[in-house]
Amino acid sequence: MQQQAFETDFWKDDAARKAWDDIIPGEPRKTMPYLLTREAIRLYCKSVGEDHPIYFDEAYAKTTPYGGLIAPPSIHILLMFACTPADDWMRSPGTINAGQSWSYNIPARPEDTITLQARALDKFIRKERLFCVHDNVFFNQKGEVICSGRGQTIRPV
Amino acid sequence: MTTYEALAPGQKIEGPKFAVSRESIRLFCDGSLDYNPLHLDDDYMKNSFGKTNFGGIIMHGMNNFGLLTRMLTDWAYPAGGIQRRMETRWLKPVRPGDTIQPSGTIKSKQVTSKSRWVLIDVVVENQAGAVVAAGEAMVEFPDGAAGI
Repeated sequence: MQQQAFETDFWKDDAARKAWDDIIPGEPRKTMPYLLTREAIRLYCKSVGEDHPIYFDEAYAKTTPYGGLIAPPSIHILLMFACTPADDWMRSPGTINAGQSWSYNIPARPEDTITLQARALDKFIRKERLFCVHDNVFFNQKGEVICSGRGQTIRPV
Repeated sequence: MTTYEALAPGQKIEGPKFAVSRESIRLFCDGSLDYNPLHLDDDYMKNSFGKTNFGGIIMHGMNNFGLLTRMLTDWAYPAGGIQRRMETRWLKPVRPGDTIQPSGTIKSKQVTSKSRWVLIDVVVENQAGAVVAAGEAMVEFPDGAAGI
């Protein structure tokens, strides 16, 4: 699978992104499949200090009930950006995360091809702030649910 | 080692302290692919966001989520526990120079027809003891599951 280059300048595609006014609750967001590599898991783990061998030591992982390496449950933090294109509104500069909830089914694993079904579910104004509720489900290449979650962001004005 | 039987409401869980720096925030950008200028651009952060001015770059809220996850899984894995849910909200911004620490308090236990569950109140506090993130987690302890 061809991994697309990731645009780290979030200003570059900003004009193409939906503002709060344009977001239609219920409308699916554009997503793309992502090949989750050991290197990506390793880098994510390093950023939060994850050091359990179940994420890194294949010989050890094979002796556990998991039968091989897994990614930490919170890998969806990476997958949210990995599975969405540069013009996705979650990247709008100034997007403030107000909170999230996630449910976990099975772990993601290295070499999984991850897909995402995502949409805005609701939008509202509270204390002059523009809120958007998003919901998301990540799947592996077998169509099994890895995790599902929803969150609220405050949209830039 | 943690066992489901030994768990009781009020028991505490503690994760390691985490020193927040410009470098740790930049590493989280690379690890999460979240390059929002909130976390990178000091000039941009001179602006106000509605009524809020952060005064400089801030840590990703989801970095708290990652630290809480690490605490829960490291605690649950030896007893065969599986993190099944976590809900968090961000209460205060975290800045370079802060030191934060995740912790949890067991709230209740519940047995369902097929498994066993623990509900845990979770928080992340900064060096001043202020709660920067708070929420609730649910960990499953399947009967007979082997620990790792």
